[in-house]
Amino acid sequence: MKFGLKLAAALVVGIALGLFATWATVIYGAGPNALSDGPWQTSLATGSAKSGPYTRAKVAMHGLLALNRSETIYYTAYTDSSGAPLDGACAYDVVGHDPDARWWSITAYGTDDFLIPNPVDRYSISKNSVLRAADGTFSATVGSAAHVQNWIPTARAPFSLTLRLYNPGASVQSEPGNASLPVIVKDGCT
Amino acid sequence: MSARAWAGWIALTLLVAALVHAGSLYALPYVVMNRTFSILGDRNMMHHMARADANSRKVVRPSPDLLYSACPYDLSKGPLEIRATIPHDTYWSVSTFDDDTNNWYVLDDRQTNRNKLDLVVQAPDSDHEVAATEHRLVVTSPSRHGLILIRTLINDEDRFDQIDRTRRLATCGAYVPSE
Repeated sequence: MKFGLKLAAALVVGIALGLFATWATVIYGAGPNALSDGPWQTSLATGSAKSGPYTRAKVAMHGLLALNRSETIYYTAYTDSSGAPLDGACAYDVVGHDPDARWWSITAYGTDDFLIPNPVDRYSISKNSVLRAADGTFSATVGSAAHVQNWIPTARAPFSLTLRLYNPGASVQSEPGNASLPVIVKDGCT
Repeated sequence: MSARAWAGWIALTLLVAALVHAGSLYALPYVVMNRTFSILGDRNMMHHMARADANSRKVVRPSPDLLYSACPYDLSKGPLEIRATIPHDTYWSVSTFDDDTNNWYVLDDRQTNRNKLDLVVQAPDSDHEVAATEHRLVVTSPSRHGLILIRTLINDEDRFDQIDRTRRLATCGAYVPSE
């Protein structure tokens, strides 16, 4: 093979490999400051000038304009509490009590990171909208089958949930990996 | 081709891959932020976005429970002044982002007892620094380009119209020194 062809091949393959590594990092990489609390994942460096290029790239693609952790902590779940990927062909119970924050919400997003179209234009539950039991706990249903109360609709497709904690309490800020967060339990699939 | 020659070409390929990976990783936030500035509209103007729903496609993972007002900025012609009414009966915050996605400043309703926001944002290399006063906050952006974002929580659906009217009072424009 001529030198020019070899050089071109090395450049093309190198560029392709480099772009693939970036894509894979942004899509699948957890980032150097990632934490897990059950199925909920977060990053200590989100929104911060101290965040590195990996965190910054992930935020740019999946959480642009996120506030820093002193103001808001964002948790995202791609799986249920058993580790199985969230899928709108199944129904899930999200069970817990109010997280330690001034205000919180749980919102469903499609794989394109946008809100999921549904017949009732409902996308979330929050501290203001959730209905609680007498003991203060709540149970919300996530899935494509309609429910009257505490329902976060999805399509019959993979999705994710984001839990926002605005003005998080001191305990969550200091130990975001040990916050008492809702569990996500699969109720069944159709 | 000899084994040594193969090793050389593989090393070159991996070097190119590493450089492209690093370059694209560093460039990605700037590209996404600049695309967002363009999508939101004119610079140095406040854009009051409609409540997020499934048709909202400007910024990823919007919250349907918050109302967003955004001002993409360009400080090359001078400082900007942001004025807004601060509600104290719901969550409200003004936050600033540089062109590398970093949230470099945030002020929420609990961190101030003011009812009105008067915030001046100036460039890092501003010729004439604006002085803060009792009624005016002054911050210096780490970059000439960035975004100011005001979030207002819809904490009561029955009060939506009132909350929306109040947040639409927010403005963003060139800072004009008073005589």
